[in-house]
Amino acid sequence: MATVEVTGLQKRYQDFLALDGVSLKAKTGQLISLLGPSGCGKSTTLRCLAGFLEPNGGDILVDGESIVSTPANRRGFGVVFQDYALFPHMTVAENVGYGLRLKRLPKGEIATRVYDVMKLVRLDGLDRRLPKEISGGQQQRVALARALVLQPRLLLLDEPLANLDARLRDEVRWLIRDVQQQSGITAFYVTHDQSEAMAMSDMVAVMKAGRVAQFATPREIYQKPTERYVADFTGEANFLPVSQVTGTGEGSYRIVVAGTDLEVTGVPDIPIGWDAELLLRPESLSLVAPDAGTFRGRVTKSAFLGAALHCEITLDDGDVLRLAADPNEQVSAEGKVGVAIDRSHAWLMPKVAP
Amino acid sequence: MTRLSRFRILLALPAVGLIFVFMILPITNMVDMSFRTTGTTGPFGDAYTLGHYNRILGDGYYWGVLLRSLVTAAMVTLLCLIVSYPIAWHLSKARGTKAVVLYACIASPLMTGVLVRNFGWMIIVALNGPLNEVLLAFGIIERPLRLLFTQGLVILALVHVFIPFMVLPINNALRNISPTLTEAAASMGATRLDILRDVILPLSFPGIYPGVILVYVLAVAAYVTPALLGGQMVSYMPTLIISELTGTFQWPLGSAMAIVLSLSSLGVVILFTAMTWKMMERSRA
Repeated sequence: MATVEVTGLQKRYQDFLALDGVSLKAKTGQLISLLGPSGCGKSTTLRCLAGFLEPNGGDILVDGESIVSTPANRRGFGVVFQDYALFPHMTVAENVGYGLRLKRLPKGEIATRVYDVMKLVRLDGLDRRLPKEISGGQQQRVALARALVLQPRLLLLDEPLANLDARLRDEVRWLIRDVQQQSGITAFYVTHDQSEAMAMSDMVAVMKAGRVAQFATPREIYQKPTERYVADFTGEANFLPVSQVTGTGEGSYRIVVAGTDLEVTGVPDIPIGWDAELLLRPESLSLVAPDAGTFRGRVTKSAFLGAALHCEITLDDGDVLRLAADPNEQVSAEGKVGVAIDRSHAWLMPKVAP
Repeated sequence: MTRLSRFRILLALPAVGLIFVFMILPITNMVDMSFRTTGTTGPFGDAYTLGHYNRILGDGYYWGVLLRSLVTAAMVTLLCLIVSYPIAWHLSKARGTKAVVLYACIASPLMTGVLVRNFGWMIIVALNGPLNEVLLAFGIIERPLRLLFTQGLVILALVHVFIPFMVLPINNALRNISPTLTEAAASMGATRLDILRDVILPLSFPGIYPGVILVYVLAVAAYVTPALLGGQMVSYMPTLIISELTGTFQWPLGSAMAIVLSLSSLGVVILFTAMTWKMMERSRA
């Protein structure tokens, strides 16, 4: 139940700049994912939000007020850790009720609130167990319950699903999203898993070397990335080199790609002469007759995956496209094919953001 | 019996042999001796008696010395724990060269021989020793303090030498506590003091326990330090036992006293274990 504004956040370790001006904005009730490979600064950003790290520059405003000088224990944020950080010497109920006990609430009220939140995350009946006596998925939910029971202004989750197996990950993921939406808590979610980030978030911040490469909705991040790094990190992608880029209006261009003239949309204001590429997601491509479509090439690889037929097409000028074709399509190796593109899903973008 | 298990027994043999020859046999011998009459021609007589135990347990003087020994050791242990915990905390945060230097500093009391160390104390606290001279020079005291041959000095010297036995196990336990637990507690509103009380202290208990036991049994049994720094005025069980053995050659009585002391300190250890059993069970994550 809070808005968050991060501006120009910096964190330096000796001569390594872990955060190099991170800026983000969260509206009340939004879930913001911080997505990126290890070392990109996503956890550092979260730890600055939580108050475990003191930034060297920039500011964090929660509901318009700076919190950078507020110690972690007075921020009132819920934090869920990758290793859950449950107190091993306390029972599940004691873990969940610890924050309430610190507030010196009456015992009866603590018991009720612990009971309610444990029911919410489906942990009822486990209150007297020690953390080592319950499963990983249950431990994860204790960690979540422990953060939620304090009705935090902000929920911070640091790769909360990383230690779970695939099936549990799915289940807990939806639980987190449901609970977050029901309670309307603003949340930040650190992950290196793009599908997790896409599925759960209202907004995604793709991070690159201590900076935010793109901060947008999952749809925009996927369909309209600002540079190759973002497109690469958010799913399967084909990149075709382009030449003779001419702007024909705000965000629309005429280009030559693989010997073909095309009108496409793309990142606005790509500087003239800047190295640019055409992004074609596999699902925006389809196989057609050899003389139809936009591009012509040969099928050089194909793999039948049940729901789809993955093909690798080598175009006449040597560029390679990967696409998912109809599984019933008959392709013969070295057979000539045409490739049609869904023009609305072709996206021109700089190789590296200017 | 398989060849492997026979081999295992063979491996244990040297240690078992040592313990048997140098511990089980002498203790058996001592228990036997403590029930013998005082000897006139040898160390002990042929007849059996409960007399020595009757004498010890029936005499307020021995009760007093035993109690003083147990209480002094408890004070040494408590002070040692209080002094050592912050050191262990600091050590547990140290890495690399800093950690090595700290380990060496902490082990330093053990690098001096027991006599040298105690004579060092005698010199430092003597009436005209450096400590009194400094205090006099700064006008903190008007007359030199008589510190030598006091119970306080014995406690101080024992705390000093036992610090490593307390620091090292606690350091180990502290190193095993995940730093995210501290952060998790802070995020729930815990102050530093709350975190120390609710998280760090209970979770370091697997280190506190062996530290306390080690220091306590070592302090109960300490002889040289009480003998040299405690003087003739205050008696402790070990000094009394030695004087029975070497002064008056009352070996059976001395043996009985030694056994009473051992059983008493074992009793304290058992009591401490029982009192802290629940805490130990929980903190063994």
